[in-house]
Amino acid sequence: MRAAVLLACRIALGALFVWAAVTKLPDMAAFAQDVANYRAVPALLVPVVAAAVVGIELLAGLALLAGVTTRAAASVVAALLAVFIVFLAQALLRGIDLRCGCFGGDEPASWWTVARDVLMLAAALAVARAPARRAQPDPLTTSA
Amino acid sequence: MATLARAALLLIAGAVLGLLANPLTPHPAPLGKPVVPAAELPGAACQDPGASIARISVQEAKPLCVACAAAFVDARSAEEYAAGHITGAVHLGPGEPPDPLLPALRAAAMVIVYDRDRDCAAANRIAAQLQNLGLRDVRVLTGAWPEWMAKGGPGESGSCTVCTASSR
Repeated sequence: MRAAVLLACRIALGALFVWAAVTKLPDMAAFAQDVANYRAVPALLVPVVAAAVVGIELLAGLALLAGVTTRAAASVVAALLAVFIVFLAQALLRGIDLRCGCFGGDEPASWWTVARDVLMLAAALAVARAPARRAQPDPLTTSA
Repeated sequence: MATLARAALLLIAGAVLGLLANPLTPHPAPLGKPVVPAAELPGAACQDPGASIARISVQEAKPLCVACAAAFVDARSAEEYAAGHITGAVHLGPGEPPDPLLPALRAAAMVIVYDRDRDCAAANRIAAQLQNLGLRDVRVLTGAWPEWMAKGGPGESGSCTVCTASSR
């Protein structure tokens, strides 16, 4: 049962992060603007951070989906989510009105966004702390 | 430890992937160029398409100021006004009675209200008040005082020397 829940978390997180990256790729400049609007990154570093975040999201998401270096990928996703939560919270506490930039659309940043990220962080931490695959076979690969 | 090392490797590889893929995207992030918050872009302050009060840019307002063809109303605090304001502007802070200023303002073809804030809340309030008192063409200055200064708009400090009706 626990293995099935962890598997669901891994697949869901992987899919969400790949989706988050893919939705940003068509307009990286807009995502850079979203990052700048958080007022937490020096202006000159904003484009670099934006491009790097998308690449990390994509690679970590693919790794989670594929079940490759799962714990490392989940740790990276957890670290990203922790940073997102801090960025969102500081912007909301400072009264900055902005788009969250989460999935490339116009979704405004709100405490709901923070709650969603906290939920995803919990899932990522659970996957990252799960026993290694040797001790816990992946149902996807063992059931066939 | 191995997990941490793999995570670090994943982070670095992901960052490199993102930086390499960025130029291949339709609208890449401008690497090497600063990206400032949208609210700090020139003219961004007070830009509200849904605002009920009409806007006027610094670029449009400057010649009107030079020609004394519009009356300017400073909606900031009295201290800020005394420290420096648009040449010819009169001071009218929120909550202050506009009546003494009305004759001069009515004589102007256009009244331009400004403050210093990004949302121009004070300027909006004063402009709405003036409109309700029957002034026909009342605008709020986009970019507000900071952009007026940044673009070298005429300014002065000290007590008011208004563009009176006779000087127009």
